[in-house]
Amino acid sequence: MNTIVCVKQVLDPEIPPAKFKIDAEAKKVIPPPGVPPVISVFDERAVEAACRLKDKHGGKITVISMGPGKVADVVKHAISMGADEGFVLQDEAFEGLDSFGTAYVLGKAIQKIGGYDLVLCGRQSADWGSGQVGSILAEILGIPVVTLACDIEAADKKLKIKRIVKDGYEVVEAPIPSLVTVSSELGLPRLPAGMRLMIAARKQIPVWKAQDIGAEPSQLDKAKAHTEVTSLSVPTRKTECEIITGNTPSEAAANLASKLVKLM
Amino acid sequence: MDSHKGVLVCGEIVEGKLAPITIELLGVGRKLANELGEDLSTLLMGSKIGGLGQEAIAYGADKVYVAEDGLLDNYNSDAYTQVAANLCLKVLPSIMLLGHTDVGCDLAPRLNGRLGGGLAMDCLALSVDPVTKLLVSTRPVFGGNAHAQMVSRSARPQMATLRPKVVPPAERNDSRQGEVIPVEGKIDPSALKVRVVERIKEEVEGVKLEDAEVVISGGRGIGSAQNFGMLRELARVLGGAVGATRPACDEGWAPMTLQVGQTGKVVSPKLYIAVALSGAIQHIAGCLGSKYIVAINKDSEANIFSVAHFGIVADYKEVLPALTAKFKELLSA
Amino acid sequence: MSPVSTSYWGIPGYAIFWVLFVIAFGLFAQRLYFLFRLMRLGKQENRFDRIGQRIKTMLVEVVPQWCNLKSVTRKDLAGIGHALLFWGFSLFLISYIIFIGLAGGFGISPVIKDTTFEMVYFSILDIAGVLVSVALIWAAIRRYVMRPQRLEPTAEAAIILVLVFFLMVLNVSVVGFGYAAHNVHTSWPPLGAALAGFLSGTSLSQGTLEAVYRGMWWLHYMVILGFMVYIPRSKHLHILLSPVNVFFKTLGPKMVLEPIPLEEQASYGVAKIQDYTWKDLLDLYSCAVCGRCHANCPAQLSGKSLSPREVILNLKEHLLEEGPGLLAAKAEVSSESKSKTMIGDVVTEEEVWACTTCGACQEVCPVDIEHVRKIIDLRRNLVLTQSKMSESTQLMLKNMQSRGHPWAGVQSLRLRGDWTSGLELKILTEGVNADTLFWVGCTGALVERNVSATLSLTRVLKAAGVDFGVLGDAETCCGDPARRAGHEFQFQILAEQNIEIFKSHAVKEIITSCPHCYNTIKNEYPRYGGDFKVVHYTQLIADLIRQGKLKLNSGLNSIITYHDPCYLGRYNSVYLEPRRILRAIPKTKIREMERSRSKSLCCGGGGGHMWIEEQPGTTKINQMRLEDVLKTRAETVVTTCPYCLQMFEESIEHKGIKDSLKARDLVELVEAAMKKS
Repeated sequence: MNTIVCVKQVLDPEIPPAKFKIDAEAKKVIPPPGVPPVISVFDERAVEAACRLKDKHGGKITVISMGPGKVADVVKHAISMGADEGFVLQDEAFEGLDSFGTAYVLGKAIQKIGGYDLVLCGRQSADWGSGQVGSILAEILGIPVVTLACDIEAADKKLKIKRIVKDGYEVVEAPIPSLVTVSSELGLPRLPAGMRLMIAARKQIPVWKAQDIGAEPSQLDKAKAHTEVTSLSVPTRKTECEIITGNTPSEAAANLASKLVKLM
Repeated sequence: MDSHKGVLVCGEIVEGKLAPITIELLGVGRKLANELGEDLSTLLMGSKIGGLGQEAIAYGADKVYVAEDGLLDNYNSDAYTQVAANLCLKVLPSIMLLGHTDVGCDLAPRLNGRLGGGLAMDCLALSVDPVTKLLVSTRPVFGGNAHAQMVSRSARPQMATLRPKVVPPAERNDSRQGEVIPVEGKIDPSALKVRVVERIKEEVEGVKLEDAEVVISGGRGIGSAQNFGMLRELARVLGGAVGATRPACDEGWAPMTLQVGQTGKVVSPKLYIAVALSGAIQHIAGCLGSKYIVAINKDSEANIFSVAHFGIVADYKEVLPALTAKFKELLSA
Repeated sequence: MSPVSTSYWGIPGYAIFWVLFVIAFGLFAQRLYFLFRLMRLGKQENRFDRIGQRIKTMLVEVVPQWCNLKSVTRKDLAGIGHALLFWGFSLFLISYIIFIGLAGGFGISPVIKDTTFEMVYFSILDIAGVLVSVALIWAAIRRYVMRPQRLEPTAEAAIILVLVFFLMVLNVSVVGFGYAAHNVHTSWPPLGAALAGFLSGTSLSQGTLEAVYRGMWWLHYMVILGFMVYIPRSKHLHILLSPVNVFFKTLGPKMVLEPIPLEEQASYGVAKIQDYTWKDLLDLYSCAVCGRCHANCPAQLSGKSLSPREVILNLKEHLLEEGPGLLAAKAEVSSESKSKTMIGDVVTEEEVWACTTCGACQEVCPVDIEHVRKIIDLRRNLVLTQSKMSESTQLMLKNMQSRGHPWAGVQSLRLRGDWTSGLELKILTEGVNADTLFWVGCTGALVERNVSATLSLTRVLKAAGVDFGVLGDAETCCGDPARRAGHEFQFQILAEQNIEIFKSHAVKEIITSCPHCYNTIKNEYPRYGGDFKVVHYTQLIADLIRQGKLKLNSGLNSIITYHDPCYLGRYNSVYLEPRRILRAIPKTKIREMERSRSKSLCCGGGGGHMWIEEQPGTTKINQMRLEDVLKTRAETVVTTCPYCLQMFEESIEHKGIKDSLKARDLVELVEAAMKKS
């Protein structure tokens, strides 16, 4: 079972909210110093799903990541979990692309890699959270897509996928190849076992530029973007929290209950 | 662009009725259509639509496209995408709206991919820019730490999924006139690649999280699955539901279906009691719509206190039993 | 005439003597050889360095019996008993060699018999025999009547007690009957002579006495031979092997973990008995089943299933069971154990995770068994090979990988470098170097209560004029939690990263506030190329006070007790400096807990247990330790470790005694004492 997993490097979502700063003019987030970026939470689950399938059915896991800077780190993170190899898609032309542009670049890379039974993505990125790249990518590759997966199994040349729906779960059957977007309900991603940390740290990750994957400039033209951000702001929350006290916590609790019952 | 006109709402039918989100979409869709001076239409897909077309007209639609087919009985990604996409290509709406539900989260990106439009998901507000006449979608980003406004200058349709319960529902006016148009064309079964095998309903005892007037959520500080029983007890007394943060679900103390947060359930009850949870932005995003937020946490610096209306800084184990008891006493009186 | 030099039913005594000896020795040697071969199944390990020091250590520990005397307490004086037994029996052993072996078997009896040497030696033996008998009776009463928790009333122990006692009786009897039979009239040795005197007074004939004498002599000889055969087949193997085990002990810190070589293997850590090193297997043989480790283990004392004694004994049993099969299969690939899984059947996963690595077991072990590393090796297999651990452990290790510290979730409240805000500190960024680095540690930077202590230390160091730099948000975990949880590679990556950072800033000396960082950087980093001078802040502050650079004028007016952290005390023998500092603070009354210094009871936070949740037991370890504190009636419990401080705060709150007992880091008291009164 050969899988290709798309991963994104994002600002660490776990920072004190007071440290979250933006540059409203540039419509960008200013990363707090000393906080290294991490692999997007849902993409990590996608890697975990790929590893689980590899545990059962063997095959190869290839990881790709598009982004500036040290995105090779998230590819290495995926390799430490169990992926076999990875590629970084890095080019000035790839910066600031919208969901369609991103899906296009990923699609080109996937077509170059080829030979896949399953493409895995996170359901949305942990930063901008547009939530569309997976579905657009499936459309580009011409393969079926199943979203919000919390469990993926393979049997009889088909994929059996459990999805999150409003009141519970849904189990669907999809052909091979398909694209599946993974949600956090898949479970905790694994720790690197054995020497995988070392192996991943030492691995050389090739970098592909636009010409390496045959990406046409016309498709990367930002003037033709499908969506653009016109403003970025930090909402101010003005709530004064009234701390309810008492001689003991139990007394405080009683005071709180009385207050709330009067309000409701 | 000029060829694209009108607002199209992709409606959802739940248990034979128009879903509440659809009624909300019709409300905001009507406003947008009025500002553009264009029509508001709705697409309803299912196996038996019946009088729902008329109902949609009563809520503000000028046209209702009805696609009735056995294959559309329950949500089926391939079938719904096919029908909706084909209709869009015929009707060419300028704006297309869906609800940010499990249906919308699946259907909208697929439609967007197929139609080549521009999509903004999980929107908190929709408006039309008075100058450019473009749809401006406001959505939370970075776990809810920031809000972004998005537009699609040239791509059509301009698409958005709207978060439930952020806009008021449309007003019903049964005297409104409109057109119910059956959608032509049979669904091509060969294009249905993904098959639904089974549906498993998670039985939730008591009140459903999304509908509850009171929600009591537990976080990482709860410490064990057993201790969640204290929250269930309080929920019982208050006639509410229990929720949990993602870390608490990750630890297995509560089922994933009780997860409140950016990617879990978004709730807006009258009273939201946050117990032993730090108030990470991703969680707060799921409960900010609550009327009163109460925080119980032994860390006075926890972020939850910055969004709560009331709080107690103490170990929840010493607060909850007394809280439950007092509520019981006051509510039975 | 020596009983050996006569004939019995036509067979020369010498023949009988030597045939018996050869059979007994053969059985003895065969068993030892078997055990040796089993030991050789283990992996390689170099314990042959510094031979001179090893010999010296062995002699110092064994001969004066410091190995046992070190763990004598008011409640458990057994170490004295064993010392008596050991010295007494050593004298007997020498006597067997001289008076039975040489005199009997080699026939030099006429040379020795009736000499002053013999008389003197036998007299000493008599006294020794009395002491040994007293010790044996005392031991028997303890084990079978008083029944302390650490001693099990087994049959094996009874056999030994009875056998040795029998030897004491036989010894006197042989001498007594011998003198009586040969009409030797003497007053020395006292017991033998007394018996002889008594026997002479009876109506027993010379012939009877001679026959009984000979019978006793041979019986005595055969019991000794029987003992020799029994030793390697019982826990008394420790008689032979414990000095050997002491010879091969770790020189320096007792609790040492070996790095895992960087090569891809099918299995990491220990999953099968032969994955242990030969020294680990030797440890299993050396156990005398004294139970001291069991009685001092905080996990065991708080009702968890882990008992260090049981781990060692179960592993030993497993080795003896699997051994023959493994030896047979050695030529081919070693077979998978079909009957038992080591982690699961022999040692349960629960036992593996319950250990806090406090080292109390190794501190009290008279034969220097290394319990801790055996358990960590099992954790390594669970984590690195089987990927089996609790979710909280996994979350902690994941956070180490993604964020470089174990405090998952805390980053939503504060970041690594936040504690430095508003302070004038030299932050080591690119190009900025410092000779001395204050290494804060994850807990001291990220957890609110411990940040207070960090700030306190910063102020104290500055007031004393210490020039130091800090890494701020560039500081990552020293790696201790990962290493103790078994993820050796995560630890190695962090260690190498940190050493790189230290070198890039030309750091020479490192001040730590956390004993875990102290232990890790000081004792474990050198294996990865990082050799720096590392001090714990208590060593530095004690020195500054001594030099007069810190004046503690303001009295504390409190009764305090000091809790020795495991990683500062037992691991690194730093007991004096914290106490010196406390004594330098005016108006403090220091009350020591009963279990203090090397006997200090763990707070429960080590071995990764700030994150690995504590198993259900009869109580929690930190609550147990709080009881020790309460017994002193102190108003303040002082410690020098961030985990211990957390654990005390938690137990104090749990017990609801925040108003009567305060938990403080020592540096907070120092700072308070520095204020002008």
